[in-house]
Amino acid sequence: MADVFTWNSARKIAWREARAASTRFLFVVAAVALGVGALTGVRGFSQSFRTMLLRDARKLMAADLTVRVFELPTPEQNSVMASLEQAGVARTAITETVSMLSTRASGNPVLVSIKAVDPAVYPFYGELKLAPPAPLPQALQADAVAASDDLFVRLDLKVGDRVKLGASEFRIAAAVAVEPDRMAGSLNVGPRVLMSRQGLERAELIVEGSRAAQRFLFRVPAEAPGIEQVRKKLKEAFPEGQIVDYRETHPLITRGLDRATRFLSLVSLIALVVGALGVAMAMHSHLQQKMDSIAVMKCVGARSGQIMGIYTLQTLMLGLLGGVAGIIVGLGVERAFPSLIARYFHFDPGIHWDTGSAVQGLAIGLLTTLLFTLPPLMGIRRVRPSLILRRDMEDARPAWRERLRHGKASISVAGLILGGMLGIVWWLSDSLQTGLYFAGGFLASVLILLVIAAGMLAGLRRLTRRVQQALPATVRHGIANIYRPGNQASALLVALGVGVMFTLTIYLLQTSVLAQLAASAPPDMPNVFLINITPKERDGIANLLKQHAGGDPEVVPVIAARIVSIDGKSVEDLLPKGLNRRFLRTRSVTWRARLPAQTEVIEGAFWQPDHQAARKGALFCASEEAARVLVARPGARFEWVAGNKRFHARLACIYRSEAVRMGSNLEFLFNPGALEGLPTLHYAAARMKPSAVARLQRAVFERFPTVTVINAADVLAIVQEVVDQIALVVRFISFFAILAGAIILASSVAGTRFRRIREVVILKTLGATRGRIAGIFSIEFLILGGAAGILGSVLATVFSLLVLKRLFQVDYRFDPWPHLVSIAATAAVANAAGWLASHRILAQKPLEALRESL
Amino acid sequence: MSNGPPIIQVSGLKKSITNAARTVKILQGIDLSIPRGQFVAIMGPSGSGKSTLLGLLAGLDSPTEGSILLDGEEISGLAEDQLAVVRGRKIGFVFQSYHLISTLTALENVLLPLELAGESNGMRRALELLDRVGLAGRSDHYPIQLSGGEQQRVALARAFMVRPPILMADEPTGNLDSANGQHVLELLLELNRTEGATLLLVTHDATLAGHADRIVRLRDGLIVGDDLRG
Repeated sequence: MADVFTWNSARKIAWREARAASTRFLFVVAAVALGVGALTGVRGFSQSFRTMLLRDARKLMAADLTVRVFELPTPEQNSVMASLEQAGVARTAITETVSMLSTRASGNPVLVSIKAVDPAVYPFYGELKLAPPAPLPQALQADAVAASDDLFVRLDLKVGDRVKLGASEFRIAAAVAVEPDRMAGSLNVGPRVLMSRQGLERAELIVEGSRAAQRFLFRVPAEAPGIEQVRKKLKEAFPEGQIVDYRETHPLITRGLDRATRFLSLVSLIALVVGALGVAMAMHSHLQQKMDSIAVMKCVGARSGQIMGIYTLQTLMLGLLGGVAGIIVGLGVERAFPSLIARYFHFDPGIHWDTGSAVQGLAIGLLTTLLFTLPPLMGIRRVRPSLILRRDMEDARPAWRERLRHGKASISVAGLILGGMLGIVWWLSDSLQTGLYFAGGFLASVLILLVIAAGMLAGLRRLTRRVQQALPATVRHGIANIYRPGNQASALLVALGVGVMFTLTIYLLQTSVLAQLAASAPPDMPNVFLINITPKERDGIANLLKQHAGGDPEVVPVIAARIVSIDGKSVEDLLPKGLNRRFLRTRSVTWRARLPAQTEVIEGAFWQPDHQAARKGALFCASEEAARVLVARPGARFEWVAGNKRFHARLACIYRSEAVRMGSNLEFLFNPGALEGLPTLHYAAARMKPSAVARLQRAVFERFPTVTVINAADVLAIVQEVVDQIALVVRFISFFAILAGAIILASSVAGTRFRRIREVVILKTLGATRGRIAGIFSIEFLILGGAAGILGSVLATVFSLLVLKRLFQVDYRFDPWPHLVSIAATAAVANAAGWLASHRILAQKPLEALRESL
Repeated sequence: MSNGPPIIQVSGLKKSITNAARTVKILQGIDLSIPRGQFVAIMGPSGSGKSTLLGLLAGLDSPTEGSILLDGEEISGLAEDQLAVVRGRKIGFVFQSYHLISTLTALENVLLPLELAGESNGMRRALELLDRVGLAGRSDHYPIQLSGGEQQRVALARAFMVRPPILMADEPTGNLDSANGQHVLELLLELNRTEGATLLLVTHDATLAGHADRIVRLRDGLIVGDDLRG
């Protein structure tokens, strides 16, 4: 028999059987397609984006090479750039900062992000488009600016209107329609205002010490020195500058893109795993129904391996179909992405067929499907030919001892699945550690979910038993249906529950993190910040603040300074990686005669109020965090540079601050006199009623137009907007997991179709109306969906609680509404999915179905 | 046996099934009148239309032509849900393959018709019926935990639960061995006697039919014999 049973026969049988069970398998294919679709969509988009970044790198930077610094260039730096210019390298400077802008009509100033360019040469690549169209040099006269659409909307502006910006008035010459290097810019808070460098001077926004970002754009023509050489020279001149050239994608953007891709890939993988669970469940119920055929095949001489071959082929066919459909879904996902992130990247990277992502998605789809179908496939070996003689026992579950005996095989299969998952995540994230976390987390989550699901089902059953007679018959029958053999309610709960858990967690974090952060802020924390205050304006601002906010306003002198070396060792070598490298850049430092309130010296000693820096040398204290990162103890000798001046200062103490006041929260405090003669700006902060902030903004803007007033509420709104955008993308992908869960429910219902038909006709024969039967089914679906909703909701609460406590140190405040809505929505989705798969059953004429088994 | 109007009155009953290729005439014109309380056996070879006739009489499908008066009510033109109500009130059914609901216990299966009719006080009767079929101790067992004979006895109890005026049985012993078959038959006849229902029994088995008051024979969708006995 084995000789005639070839793979060809296996293929034929597999195909015939799959065709016969087409409805159920259609759901399976759809579930796999969703997972693969999410995965290939995310990765395809990421790849397209990266390709676009490389292809259009010059346009996105508006140059061949850029240098970004946060200080005005020193004379030495200027001379290096001038020498490059002489060698044929074209250069232009861009200044980016924030400031206040208002119209005469509105009076309420708005925070805008300023970008000052030289319209004659900017941009070197790409095109800046204005509406109405006009050449940039012509539009950006010294007394004119162009603004983004959102400013027009916010201030009800039209082209030709006049606005006040800093010390001068400007005419709005046009709207900015396309800005090629928007992504490469910094300080993108508030609407964009584009102006010429002469305009910037007129506005008097930049004074010595201002923390504006300077971006120098370079065009390196063929006859000039090579780009590598230019880059090297600039790196020497601007050691703390961020240098990017067109041969690489923008590091900040690609880093963000990489992280996002990795995270979204894992979310997609969850959708895929949920889909694969569906395949496993469908295969299980399919094989349950095929027990007789399998037994008969074994009776006529087929070996277990051959039969497993048939069903493995069938699984692979399903996986392949799902994978191919998934690639098509993926193209849709890829197309949807640009609109999801349109707020920040307003361009269309186009849809590019990315073979790599497609093949990867297909392979992962197939592999996941196969892995999860292993348990039911292995079960084929346990089917005994004698089964055809004992049909009545078809539904009986073996005793637990019996099941335990199969434990060994099950453990190996589970190991194989986990190993496979580990490999897939390793592949997707390029990190073994992430793979281990995911596989471990996956195992733990599924086990916990299964235990909870089984517990919920057992509890529900016990409860129903207890109150049996008090429940209406429809409800009782609906509940009884949940325990129908082959219904696999626990697995269904897990599949749907995972989807709900994920989506709801994202929602809860999105809505609560910022709200909780704002709510849990100490009551005296400042909510208004004033920046760019010159020494001349200091007293006037202090008085204004006193009038508006009352109390003793805090106005802190701030100097931009950078650490060069510690005890003679270059700080560049001391801080090799990560976030700590922020100490390589310019930091804001201040001076103090006395130790600020709520501040405690934990090492060393604070100076005496009359300490004379000129005679005894400059001293400073560092915050606990700064000292830890810099590995510095009191006594260490730091070399600093501020403006054009280099100076030394000794670390006198390390402090810990509990204060919420801004001045005490700076990382470095110097003794008075240490910073004498350096360009100083003042920052101020106050706590005032939110409703009074606008009045302060108006008053400050009237008298001190170059001072920027930042309302914390506005900043929070901007952060919220970013968080919302991220959450939208994550929710979009995690929604696929819910959808896959719903499809699994539909597939499971389709899998129990014959049992359901039989029951429907018995019920009809016994006098049940269609309404009654619909009620019974709906109760079943609604309870399953509701239970999955509760399960997901409980776990989402636990996750959110952990994340909020651990990562954000804020308390979780329970709001029942999102949970109730999730539970109701899941129940509704489950009901819809259930009916999608069983509506035809209801119309079944009893006699037709009874004929087959009368 | 009462002498009032017949409980089942069938005239000109036809049923055809149209496949893609051809039309199969299953019943080709049946006229039949059954008085209240009569025990009628319907016999005939496979494919003669016995089960279809029984199904149409029970309103499980609609005839292609003809009329069916059930206890004076014309049912051939009724909508599906109206038919369901008629069945629930007037007909008890026993199938060859028992057809119990696998997710309900024996007791719940017996209670089902009463609950579907919207009544809730049937516990005593259900337990009593289970006792009469000898399954008092198995009331909380699921179908899967019962043997074929036991399942059929639960089905019998279920069929009599609402005291239907008509009981229809389609090969009720067909799936059982002779001892179990005999037991089920005795129970069926005993229950029918005490409950006073009209009994329609479809069977191949001449011995089974031998208990009937009347034997109707079908062939190719037509009545070819109608013997009133003793």
